[in-house]
Amino acid sequence: MTTMTAQTTQVYQLFIKATPEAIWDAITKPEFTIRYFHGARVENTPERHRGYGPNGENWGDSPTLEYDPPHRLVHGWQSRYSPELAEEPESRVTWEIEPQEGGYCLLSVTHDQLDGSPKTAESVSGPGWMMVLSGLKTLLETGDVLDPDRA
Amino acid sequence: MTDDDLVFKALADPTRRHLLDRLFERDGRTLTELESELEMTRFGVMKHLRVLEDAHLVVTRRSGREKLHYLNPVPIRLIHDRWIDKYTEHRVAALADLKTELEETA
Repeated sequence: MTTMTAQTTQVYQLFIKATPEAIWDAITKPEFTIRYFHGARVENTPERHRGYGPNGENWGDSPTLEYDPPHRLVHGWQSRYSPELAEEPESRVTWEIEPQEGGYCLLSVTHDQLDGSPKTAESVSGPGWMMVLSGLKTLLETGDVLDPDRA
Repeated sequence: MTDDDLVFKALADPTRRHLLDRLFERDGRTLTELESELEMTRFGVMKHLRVLEDAHLVVTRRSGREKLHYLNPVPIRLIHDRWIDKYTEHRVAALADLKTELEETA
């Protein structure tokens, strides 16, 4: 297999059978994120994007750049859960929720502005975002937590 | 066709798998860049990219005047969760049972 240099713009897309409002809540409220976001309590307000670890550690604290419920959320990203990653400059995460036919929504997550943050890019790429997004889908569609050992 | 059908259909072609591998190495590429690595007409590459886009394996984003192609790994992950995990776990469990049985009767 070819070795991969983690991409400076990463795009993830998936269909979720849920309303835009339910997806918005699951993304922005800590009581939902703790069940699929690597155990993080993430809170998005119109001003800040904050994440807390299991013991209240600061895992993220970045500005909210756009806040348009339940369609579009853009916030800064700094991986404060690791001292090494926390030193890298802030990158950007964009969530877009587009309703489709049949009760589905297309959720797009774009993590970009990673040019100056190669370690962060490597850390979130592949299984990083994928575990979060497939966990989010499972939670919304079945109410279950995906693989609690790894959540 | 269901989403899974679209993904399996998209993956059932060596040129399209080759395009995914190129994007895996480095994404955000234009049609012209992708085309330059294939012995194929521009129209042919566009047709294959369209099938990959329909399956959401490739997502395009505009950047100024350019249309950039990005690999979306989520559908393959979901197929993995749905089709591969299930069967490999079953097989591993069967082997574990076999081992237990053989060791107990030995």
